[in-house]
Amino acid sequence: MTFSEILQVITGCIGSFGFALLFNVRGKRLWIAALGGFLSWLIFLLLSRFIESEPINYFIVSFLISIYAEIMARVMKTPTTTFITTSLIPLIPGGSLYYTMAYAFQSDAGRFVEKAVYTLELAAALALGVIAATAFTKLFCNGLRVMGGKAND
Amino acid sequence: MTELLNCAMDIGEQLLVCGAEIHRVEDSVKRICEAFGAVRTDVFIITSSMVVTVHDSNANTCTQTRRIISTGTDFEKIHCLNALSRKICSEQMTVSQIQTELARIAAVKPHPLWAECLFYAIISGAFTLFFGGGFIEAAVALVIGGLIRFAMWVADKTVGNRIFSKFLASFAATALAFAALKLGWVPTVDNMMIGIIMTLIPGIGLTNALRDLFTGDSIAGLLRSIEAVLIALAIAAGYFLFAALGGVVG
Repeated sequence: MTFSEILQVITGCIGSFGFALLFNVRGKRLWIAALGGFLSWLIFLLLSRFIESEPINYFIVSFLISIYAEIMARVMKTPTTTFITTSLIPLIPGGSLYYTMAYAFQSDAGRFVEKAVYTLELAAALALGVIAATAFTKLFCNGLRVMGGKAND
Repeated sequence: MTELLNCAMDIGEQLLVCGAEIHRVEDSVKRICEAFGAVRTDVFIITSSMVVTVHDSNANTCTQTRRIISTGTDFEKIHCLNALSRKICSEQMTVSQIQTELARIAAVKPHPLWAECLFYAIISGAFTLFFGGGFIEAAVALVIGGLIRFAMWVADKTVGNRIFSKFLASFAATALAFAALKLGWVPTVDNMMIGIIMTLIPGIGLTNALRDLFTGDSIAGLLRSIEAVLIALAIAAGYFLFAALGGVVG
């Protein structure tokens, strides 16, 4: 890993921590949120060595981190949103959104449309990953319950 | 029955105000009413309003509505409310016990302004580095990040409109970033702007909106999507206004 990649992982983690503080997450849950931010960018960087398409990478990372959030939420007995919202912060396409805005201002229609579509692709991939993970967790938990003889509650 | 419904509504209202998902709020209200012996509970919740009807075993019904003014996101309160509704469902609690618990949760103080300024500063600085800015740029973004939280506070106190606050914050951030550029402190404004914009953009709002949409809460999902789009436009408008006034982009 290069210096800038290490710096990104660390600052991504600090960013998640900052948002967790802002959203009034407290105690141990604060550290779980920060760890989520750290993991999300680390996994993204590692996967980007194998996956060329950024939106697909976004989807996979968002799925994995949401699973992490679902597990941690059950361990800590707290709503899943706490960890999804904070851990996925480094993946929010802020850079892409800013350049969309800047190109729009420069009346650079070609690059504006290109960036705008790209930003939407990233945002959609992120949301789809979260939704897929939620569905997967429900499937898994209810499946276990059915197999354990207890029908879904 | 009215008292019980009051309790359930109070918990639901607090959850919504603190930014919980619609699905969770509906579920909590329903479970609480059922724990108190409601035969049937009809719950309809969107981001700005709640309508709940409970039916008891004597065929009596009771309906309440609430108008919800959502503020921000407070996961500590959501955590406590969630724990409380679990407790209500698992053990017998009286209405007055629940009210005491609720009062205790309501007393959890939000962060003071200076702390929020500090968090904005940390986030802005961290993401400036994250997006490839240098340490000096990060330091400048840190200061600007803290200042725009203060600007938003002023806007909230005077105008009291969330969209306008974001617009003003974006305008102030652009102005300060270009001022730093003119003073020759930083080579470019881009990385600083991205770092600061990370604190403002509705990325999480949009993700939650899409989640609501896909889990079947279409109306709430649409409302949240529109809010996210409006906020994004407000940020762009703030940036455009300064850039046009100053004529400095290019």
